Amino acid sequence: MVKTWMPREVPSLADILADTRVWKLKDASAAPARPVWSTGRSSLDARLPGGGWPTASLIEVLLDESGLGEVQLFLPALVACQQRTGTEDCPWIVWIAPPHEPYAPALAQQGIELGRLLVVRPSSATEALWAAEQALSSGVCAAVLLWLKGTDNRWLRRLKLAAEAGGALGVLFRPGRHRFESSPASLRLLMTQGEPEAHLDLIKVQGGRPGPVDLGP
Amino acid sequence: MKSPRAKSRTADLFAAAGIAAPVPAAVPLCARPLCARPLPAPPVAPGIARAPRLKPLWYAVVFPELAQIEHSLDELQKLCTHAQGFTPFVSIEMPDALLLEIKGSIRLFGSLEILKAAIDACWQRLGLKSCSATTPSTLAALWLARAGESMHGDDAGKLPGLLAKVPIACTAWDAERLQTLRALGLTRVGEMLRLPRGGLARRLGPEVVRDLDIAVGRQPGPRRPFMARERFRERCDFETEIEHVAYLEKALEPLIERCAQFLRHRQAGIQTLQLKLKHRELPATRVRLGLASITSERRRLSDVLTQKLMRLELKAPVRGMELISGSLRALSASSLDVFAGLTGGSSRDSAPQLVERLRARLGEEAVYGVCLIEEHRPEAAWGKVQALPLCAPSQKPTAAIEPQLPRPVWLLAQPLSIPAPQLLQGPERIESGWWDGKGVARDYYIARQAQGARLWVFQERHTGLWYLHGVFA
Repeated sequence: MVKTWMPREVPSLADILADTRVWKLKDASAAPARPVWSTGRSSLDARLPGGGWPTASLIEVLLDESGLGEVQLFLPALVACQQRTGTEDCPWIVWIAPPHEPYAPALAQQGIELGRLLVVRPSSATEALWAAEQALSSGVCAAVLLWLKGTDNRWLRRLKLAAEAGGALGVLFRPGRHRFESSPASLRLLMTQGEPEAHLDLIKVQGGRPGPVDLGP
Repeated sequence: MKSPRAKSRTADLFAAAGIAAPVPAAVPLCARPLCARPLPAPPVAPGIARAPRLKPLWYAVVFPELAQIEHSLDELQKLCTHAQGFTPFVSIEMPDALLLEIKGSIRLFGSLEILKAAIDACWQRLGLKSCSATTPSTLAALWLARAGESMHGDDAGKLPGLLAKVPIACTAWDAERLQTLRALGLTRVGEMLRLPRGGLARRLGPEVVRDLDIAVGRQPGPRRPFMARERFRERCDFETEIEHVAYLEKALEPLIERCAQFLRHRQAGIQTLQLKLKHRELPATRVRLGLASITSERRRLSDVLTQKLMRLELKAPVRGMELISGSLRALSASSLDVFAGLTGGSSRDSAPQLVERLRARLGEEAVYGVCLIEEHRPEAAWGKVQALPLCAPSQKPTAAIEPQLPRPVWLLAQPLSIPAPQLLQGPERIESGWWDGKGVARDYYIARQAQGARLWVFQERHTGLWYLHGVFA
């Protein structure tokens, strides 16, 4: 039961802001900037805090069917994170349980260093989550992409903590029916079919404003 | 043993044995050598002073009893370790003999006679019947020892005379050659030395002439020194039988610690490891481990072993275990980093470690990389890589075949038959593979699904049917 508290007089805005229980969005976005990877789409970059995908965090992409350009959203970031550190200690990219075979010529065309790409095919969802947690927390991976049919909240929290510990970008692809569940992911996107481009909806943005994004060129 | 490559390795072999390469003494076989070839100069890098050459002296010992034993190699390897008390260079001569290079040891023991007596006494103590001979040539020593001629000396000039009486059966030539020789009426090596080389080489093969050259000291007879294979092997028996894997992990810790220490002392690493769990009645359970790279780190060994053990179902209680390492390998420079353990912290690990851990739990095939293959057919243009370039970043792919249209991220394992789609881009004609029976003649297009997904489709040119082959995700 929610207790309602009625003030005797309406407080001023300054009073409300001075209250420590009020979390200020502006302060959060002004927090020490983490490195971000550009999404390759200026309209999406503009909507994300810091101007790109946040590193060391978990991103959840909800979509029902593959083929909406969901991997394409992350490929520029994957290329950038491999190139930034130079060839000496080029970080790894791990794809766990992808729905189809990742096609090497396409990835090479986009500029991904194939020698540092690892594909993992676990036999069950639990194994996949375990593998993702290991890869995220290992510290040698820049990005871990994970495809799952469904998972519970407890595992998502573990993945988020692992991503933060390992400084890796974790991307989880899940069916759209999970959109109404709560999730610890710092960024949640919903992709739906559309004409001519797929619709992208930011469900949750830590330090930003949710809402639909126009995926213009 | 006597391939042409052996000759070029001669210098390396002798260098490995710590002795200078031998100078082949040009001793005339007979009064008129029929084709005395000039011997090539031994390879010496320019600028390196020539070390004083030490002519090797070979002590051969033959154990007639071993010729009848089936697994004489094991026995000879054991005897090698005894022989290595006298010289570092011991070579195994199958099936029943050892060759020892003893020139370097003569000064240590005083004289050749004392050394020879000491080595012979060693065989006697082991209760073995033996026959030995010492000459400056490898094969002459072997043949003389087999013939039972107890000759010990370092005068190469006497060799042809000594070998004259040696029966041809003492050479290690095959039965067919010996039969040919007997048919020619030859029974002694001396008789062969008097024959023209060309004819011998034609009838019996150039190997025979080369062996004769080696025997009389015209050519060096390179040998490969025996190296004892070292590996970690330690067992631990439990007072009470262990039924839970968790306790096994605990008991394994000291073994792994000792294994890591063993490796550290030798500056070596291992790539394979085996754990044997002994049961009271059932045969022992063997847990085999393959590591992604050569390592000597305790943390990595225990990590992989623990992962394997976690997935193990014990058939019966365990009463003892044994940890056996694979053969020792040299560590790479990066794994010898003193500070690697300090700077890394406990939560960070290396890429090989991650791959190992994933493979230990998910299986070898479940973790792989992808590579490009220079091929026009889309389904053949990529491949799975199991041996990942785990330590060094791979070379840039040689993109000799640059596709015209963009390729999709997902490729379907089998093309799916679909109705004619709405085309966006194309065509790209791919016609290839007629030579291996999997020929394709297709026009590829980028198409749009009604719901908005971008697809990679093709039309079979012969049938006109449409197929879905990839998805632009």
